[in-house]
Amino acid sequence: MSETDPLSVIVVDDESPARGLVREYLANHADMRLVAECANGFEAVKAANAHKPDLIILDVQMPKLDGFEVLELLGAETRSVIFTTAHDSYALRAFNVHAVDYLLKPFSAERFAEALALARTRLRKSEPVPARELLETRRDGAALDRLLIRDRSNVHVIPIDQVDFVESQDDYVSIRAAQKSYLKEQAISDLEQQLPKTFVRIHRRFLLNISRLAKIELSEKESRIAILHDKTQLPISRSGYAKLRAVLDG
Amino acid sequence: MHPIFTNGKQMALYILGYLPIGAVLVIGFGHAGAWGTATAFFLPLTMLYGFLGMTAYYVCRAFPINQQYRIWRALPAQAMAAVTAGGFSVGIAWAWSAILESLNLNVQPKMYLDQPWTLFAVGVLLFGLAIAFHYALIASLESQRSESQILESKLLVREAELKALRAQLNPHFLFNSLNSVSALTTSDAASARHMCLLLADFLRDTLRLGSAQRISVQEEFAVLQRYLAIEQVRLGSRLSVQCVGSDQALQENIPALLLQPLVENAVVHGIAHRLEGGTVAIHAECRDSALIISIANPTDADRPRSQGSGLGLNLVRQRLQAHYGAAYLFEANEADGTYRVNIRVPLAAPDLQA
Repeated sequence: MSETDPLSVIVVDDESPARGLVREYLANHADMRLVAECANGFEAVKAANAHKPDLIILDVQMPKLDGFEVLELLGAETRSVIFTTAHDSYALRAFNVHAVDYLLKPFSAERFAEALALARTRLRKSEPVPARELLETRRDGAALDRLLIRDRSNVHVIPIDQVDFVESQDDYVSIRAAQKSYLKEQAISDLEQQLPKTFVRIHRRFLLNISRLAKIELSEKESRIAILHDKTQLPISRSGYAKLRAVLDG
Repeated sequence: MHPIFTNGKQMALYILGYLPIGAVLVIGFGHAGAWGTATAFFLPLTMLYGFLGMTAYYVCRAFPINQQYRIWRALPAQAMAAVTAGGFSVGIAWAWSAILESLNLNVQPKMYLDQPWTLFAVGVLLFGLAIAFHYALIASLESQRSESQILESKLLVREAELKALRAQLNPHFLFNSLNSVSALTTSDAASARHMCLLLADFLRDTLRLGSAQRISVQEEFAVLQRYLAIEQVRLGSRLSVQCVGSDQALQENIPALLLQPLVENAVVHGIAHRLEGGTVAIHAECRDSALIISIANPTDADRPRSQGSGLGLNLVRQRLQAHYGAAYLFEANEADGTYRVNIRVPLAAPDLQA
């Protein structure tokens, strides 16, 4: 990127007047080019995929996908992000995900220009934001209530209680929900920590939603098999069985 | 538990109250040359008797005297208790004199045991006093309790009102609205002005109506429509509104701003989560001598209802409780992608605030 190339920007906000304001403020900055305006997270993921923007100006509270979830889905593709929101309570999380700045609505043209200046500095240094950190700092310790899966520019939102089980496949996890399988780039042990207590690691390779468990059968020499309501069979390891017992008896 | 036992200071005061009675007995029974014996015998004895007198509390509780139960109903039981106490006092006197003897204090308490009937009579009399004291105590405790109950319920109403008022002025709503105004100033000055006026009207409503007063459903609907008009500037075509009330229902009175937090929930936790938006439907009608109000909104199937809305629901429930006692119905449920809140209150309910 040369010093003279304009920076590409997308703005994401579900409120039309709010997008209009950012458009107006951006017009004063010749080195910034607005390449897309998005009214929700899905559009944002699509636009980011298509334009590979230098900067995303991102609202936090939006339908379906909030700003943090959009960032999680984009992962390493995000070069820099400025949050805009009326809530001051997200500031800590915003800096945890390496946001350039955090603008409290309503904000002035001057405050907006400061944020852009910070973004320019960040981009000139061109330190990519480590994707790992984005994933790991995404929540304040609360269990997930849904899984977000990105399939190129499409996003699937799966409520946690629809998930039957999760299977580890190398660097990916395969998530089984509502008779479909989804692939997500995440380690199973990572996901295990984010899931609610209803999910038990019954095997090195499997996480089971215990509400799907129909019965446990003993196969040859002490090894056990979990039989789900839909007749799916999953292996249970010795330590997995102990965890399962602890939850079921608990 | 005896109320006096709960407080050490009260207990000490109560027992000290027996001191003058003891003094009277010393003067009554003592004579020249035996003042020491009378003091050593009667003073501790009356204090000890104070504890026996406390049992009168339980008799008084078992046989209360009030509008319903007259004094003659309690009389036989109290007389029996007093006679028993009299017997006990003779026993205690006997035991105490034995203890005094064994202490070799150069006193001769035995002489008082020669008059057991006198001791018995004094015991019965003192128990009668204790009974009178305890009836007075119970009456005073009860009036204190009912006073604090009235105070508490008044406080509850006030608190609910204050909380409701604070919840009404959701700062995020204000900041988002101000952001819209700021955005529209250059792009659409007329809309910006319109938004300012809507905001001003809404704020005036919430400040004016924040107290415990009641307004007609029609007035409440007007406040809701102003609020929703502001949200429509932000959410655009995603938010549509249906607000319908029967003529009779519109004339009924409800606590001011009762519905506003529910409608705000419908927008913030319902419509705002949906890409395609939806309709907030508000209905009011009268049926079976009750006013029935329902607020419904479509929900996002992928998102469990967020926790934030619970606080608003509790505040509304508290306000209903404060205004209608137990005579209200409040339910919230989600079915087939629609979240619905139903409220049912009696028609022309008596105002508890009056």
